[in-house]
Amino acid sequence: MKKLLFLLLFAPIFTFGQQLLQGRIRYLKTSNWTKQMASIDYLTPQQKEKSAYIWGNRAEWKVYCNLFFDETRSKYEDSDEQADIKSDDSWSNRKDIFCVTRDFSNNLTRDLMVFLGKNLLVEDTIFKPKWKILNDMKEVSGHLCMNASFHDTLRMQQIVAWFALDLPISVGPERFSGLPGAILEININNGGMILSADKIDIRPISVGELDLPKKPKGKKISEADFRAKQARFFKEKRMAEEVPFWGIRY
Amino acid sequence: MKNHFIFGILFLVGFQLFGQNPNKTTIRGIVIDTSGELIPLATVMLLTPQDSQLVNFTRGDEKGNFEFKNVKNTTYLLKISYVSYLPLQKLIAPAANSVHDLGKIAIKPITSELMEVVIKAAKATLSIRGDTIEYDASSFKVPPGSTVEDLLRRLPGIEVDAEGNIKAAGQDVKRVFVDGKTFFGDDPKAATKNLGAETLSKIQVFDGKSEQAKLTGVDDGKKEKTMNLELKEEFKKGSFGKLTGAGGTKERWATRGNFNRFGPKQQLSFIGYANNINQTGVNWEDYGEFKGQNYFGNDDNGDFGFSNGGGNRVYYFGDDNNDTPTNNFDGRGFTKNGGIGSNYNFDNKKTKANVSYFYNQSKLNFDQTSLQQTFLADSSFFQNDTTNQLEFRGNHNLSTKIEQVFDSTNTLILKIQTRFGTKNGEKSTQQSFFEQNARTSNDLKLTNNNNIDTWRLTSTAIFRHRFKKKGRSIAASAGYNNSNSDGTDAIFSLNKIYQTPVFSKEIRQNNLNENGTEQLKSSLLFTESLSKKWFSESFVNFSKTKNQVNRQVTEPNAGDARNEDLSVYYDFGVIYNRFGTGLRYSYSALNISAGLAFQQLTLNGRYSADKNAPLLTDPIKKTYQNWTPNTSINYEIKNDFNLELSYAHTVEEPRLTDLQPIPNVNNPLYRQEGNPNLSPTRSHDFGINLNRWDPATFSSIGVNLDYNVYDSRISQNITTVFIDTIGFQTISKPINISGGTDLGGWSWASFPIIKTKITARINANFGINNRITFVNDLKNDTKSSRIGFRPSFTFTPNRRIIAEISGNAGITNVVYSIQKSQNQKIQNHGAAATIKAQFFKKYFLETNFNYAIYKNDRLGFDQKIPTWNASVRRLFGKKNRLELRLAAFDIFDKNQYIRQSGWQNFVSRTEAATLARYFMASASYNLRGYELKIKKNNWD
Repeated sequence: MKKLLFLLLFAPIFTFGQQLLQGRIRYLKTSNWTKQMASIDYLTPQQKEKSAYIWGNRAEWKVYCNLFFDETRSKYEDSDEQADIKSDDSWSNRKDIFCVTRDFSNNLTRDLMVFLGKNLLVEDTIFKPKWKILNDMKEVSGHLCMNASFHDTLRMQQIVAWFALDLPISVGPERFSGLPGAILEININNGGMILSADKIDIRPISVGELDLPKKPKGKKISEADFRAKQARFFKEKRMAEEVPFWGIRY
Repeated sequence: MKNHFIFGILFLVGFQLFGQNPNKTTIRGIVIDTSGELIPLATVMLLTPQDSQLVNFTRGDEKGNFEFKNVKNTTYLLKISYVSYLPLQKLIAPAANSVHDLGKIAIKPITSELMEVVIKAAKATLSIRGDTIEYDASSFKVPPGSTVEDLLRRLPGIEVDAEGNIKAAGQDVKRVFVDGKTFFGDDPKAATKNLGAETLSKIQVFDGKSEQAKLTGVDDGKKEKTMNLELKEEFKKGSFGKLTGAGGTKERWATRGNFNRFGPKQQLSFIGYANNINQTGVNWEDYGEFKGQNYFGNDDNGDFGFSNGGGNRVYYFGDDNNDTPTNNFDGRGFTKNGGIGSNYNFDNKKTKANVSYFYNQSKLNFDQTSLQQTFLADSSFFQNDTTNQLEFRGNHNLSTKIEQVFDSTNTLILKIQTRFGTKNGEKSTQQSFFEQNARTSNDLKLTNNNNIDTWRLTSTAIFRHRFKKKGRSIAASAGYNNSNSDGTDAIFSLNKIYQTPVFSKEIRQNNLNENGTEQLKSSLLFTESLSKKWFSESFVNFSKTKNQVNRQVTEPNAGDARNEDLSVYYDFGVIYNRFGTGLRYSYSALNISAGLAFQQLTLNGRYSADKNAPLLTDPIKKTYQNWTPNTSINYEIKNDFNLELSYAHTVEEPRLTDLQPIPNVNNPLYRQEGNPNLSPTRSHDFGINLNRWDPATFSSIGVNLDYNVYDSRISQNITTVFIDTIGFQTISKPINISGGTDLGGWSWASFPIIKTKITARINANFGINNRITFVNDLKNDTKSSRIGFRPSFTFTPNRRIIAEISGNAGITNVVYSIQKSQNQKIQNHGAAATIKAQFFKKYFLETNFNYAIYKNDRLGFDQKIPTWNASVRRLFGKKNRLELRLAAFDIFDKNQYIRQSGWQNFVSRTEAATLARYFMASASYNLRGYELKIKKNNWD
């Protein structure tokens, strides 16, 4: 009897834990141009203040992104859904190619993206940031999450993540992962960019939802080479005293 | 916790000393709760004890068992977390054996109050420090307008009684700080009752030292419950501003200042300037800070439909840009200027509001000489003008704008602008006319005293609604515009004709000009998605405009008798209707649109000698109907690589002044007639635009081509005849002429020669215009072609030096079909060098040298003007708030205004004196401090 009660109580978690932990997480991505500028150490405070004053609330824009996942794999890409009231449905811009696919059982990542105008296919083992786990908790989209953070010295970003305790898969938005639960919220540089899960559908994954486009066009590159490329670019932008997040994904 | 840690370290040291530990170990345990129940599926993490870095993680099984197999045998911080339980941290030492069994580990449930109130309802963050829990108060949602006290009432663990006294964890809160400082005295309720709840980011409660302890410096051990309210970053108010005063030689002086105050939702700014150094307005940088977040996005005028190709607006009432009080000095003469303004912005994301006022004035004084050669059928004549002009301009501008977002589907924009302006002045011109190698045929002296007051109101309302169906939306706009002007001209002309005998003719004329325009307009736009890739756009435009022009001319020499030939009163109505529809294909970075509009323009004119006088002619009624196609293709070939092709058929109605039947003769030698029979200008406009930006190489390139072919163009029929009693008299009358083309191209490129060190920028442009005019009834085809080239190189060897060298070459060829022998070649060339350097840390040197060449061989004109400016400035103070600057302008004392042009059937050049060499010292104070680096722009 006691066993039955126990089973009933934890039945949902059991099913998550056993087989059917797959589906889609939709993230609302809010970018704030002036907050991104504020974290660039080589710009003068006058430049940052001026841009914050003139842009005001207009510095913010919103898009949706989707993360598809099952227990061993995941795919993350931008969504076609419009999130911003200002956006125009009847105009089509070239989308920045960005598709992150992960195979956790083999610790492999294949990420297709545009970097400085060129298509790259980053193929390597999954990069693991050195997450610090802190003692903060909060709820995101109905899930209790724990706080984790790390400082990305390469991209000058302070990253704060919130991962779900009851979604025990190491997936996450953009190129973030490696935590004991699904990352449901990311805050980069104090609001420069906030990704927050606003819709979590636990449902069977359909064929192809976890795959890269059929013939990915992009130059193959290792994670180390990709990081070296970024380092070179950030160094040049520092020399030119220009904002680096213009032409590359934040 | 601390004890555990020390214990762990001791263990570690101990075991390492004995060196008996295995390299790898398996850590296992069982998770239970404090009541002894097994906790299944808990998250278990191994962290580094130094900085909580995640090393490994696993999950317990259904029976609470967890296991880390074969991990490095070292000290770990073990962390167990499970939904609804407090995360547990435990320091574990290296194991002596290959299996490290931790046994049962109990975790503590989070109280249901915290779970329900803090996490579920408020979505607040819980920060756990040992057994203490703190939460982020900013996430507790309270109704708008609530005070901090209202907020505190909702927080678990805090009680507020009816009088507002606060208790935290059962103890009285004695002191409340705001951002660590006392808020209006010692009463803890002052802050909690007065501050708005939405301003807080954090509420901290801690045990502070007692007042006694603080005074005496002796800690009496008594602690008082203290609360600190931390304000949100955005609620911290700020202000900035600067003030500059400058004085120089030749009685030159300048002053300007601005002050801005801002909060999270509001921005208030003031700006002012006054000078006699030809800065007729504020610089763009200051103007941007003055307008704040209302600087962008004010260009929607509610005229929906095909936008490129113009012609769809009946009257252009001016917009923000025309009224922008920025420097617009044209280079001639001397000015005294002043202006003040204030701007207020409100923005809470749903409502954006702006009120802006600006007054600016300029007093202009210039002397100018010009030489013009006019070509007739088989001859030409010259005209030498000397002009002196004094003018005063003053404008008040008041504008407001409200943008309201009701929800994600409805938006409303309201804009109202008013402007009141005054202009008066005196212009006197001495004109001499002569044929090549011949003596002067006549001299004309002309003075005009004028005075005009203008008033304008423009208002627009735009409403947009998006339907649930993706891609379906509707927009509606309405506008009312009104403008009036009231002016007088007192004209005196003395024409001296060198016949035998020499004789003169004097004309005095007083003009009274009253103009009024009133317009009502409205537009509707409906967008519908037909499929994922196809959309349709349909629009309707309507406007009704009424113009009233009253020009009454009297002759003081004839006892102020009315001049019947030149006086006229007319009212003129324009009704504009347009409807159109278009299809748009939008998919995968390709946007194609094609559409067709039908437009009807009805003009109604009634002319009489004066108000209420009988009509001079039958009422003129004209209706123009046109179909205007419009297509465009826009393709983003790659990221940051765009191609745009466009075609439009444009129909533009004649200007009001071109249609009037009564001539304007303010100058007896120049008579501008109107033509009530004009039909609209019709043209086919083609455009190509290509631009590419490469973020990897920091380079960009753009090419732009425009080609217009005219089916019908309004051009001038010019008749110049030599009349013995007048001299050369020119009569100009607008007529419709078919034919004529304009071709224009513009390209630019910017690329690094050495990345971040040397950058090259190249601009090139050309234009070929073919304009047909009639000169003394002879068809004259004026072909003018211009080519311009402007390369520049910027050197930035390090952060303390920027150097730039540039050159420009411009050649305009004008070919007149009636007299090929008179073809002109006008040349304007130049070279410039700029150096900016920072030295001795706080000193800055800025200097630029410019060399300009103006040439026209046929007119025998060859002028070279070198100008050189230099300045040194130094910043003072810790925050670099003070700047002292010494500047020298036009050190060679050569500055001068020169313009050359070739047009219709003439060629001309104009020269005017302006401000030349002067030296100036200035002091500036900047509240937020000057940047301790070279200025990249040249605004100041």
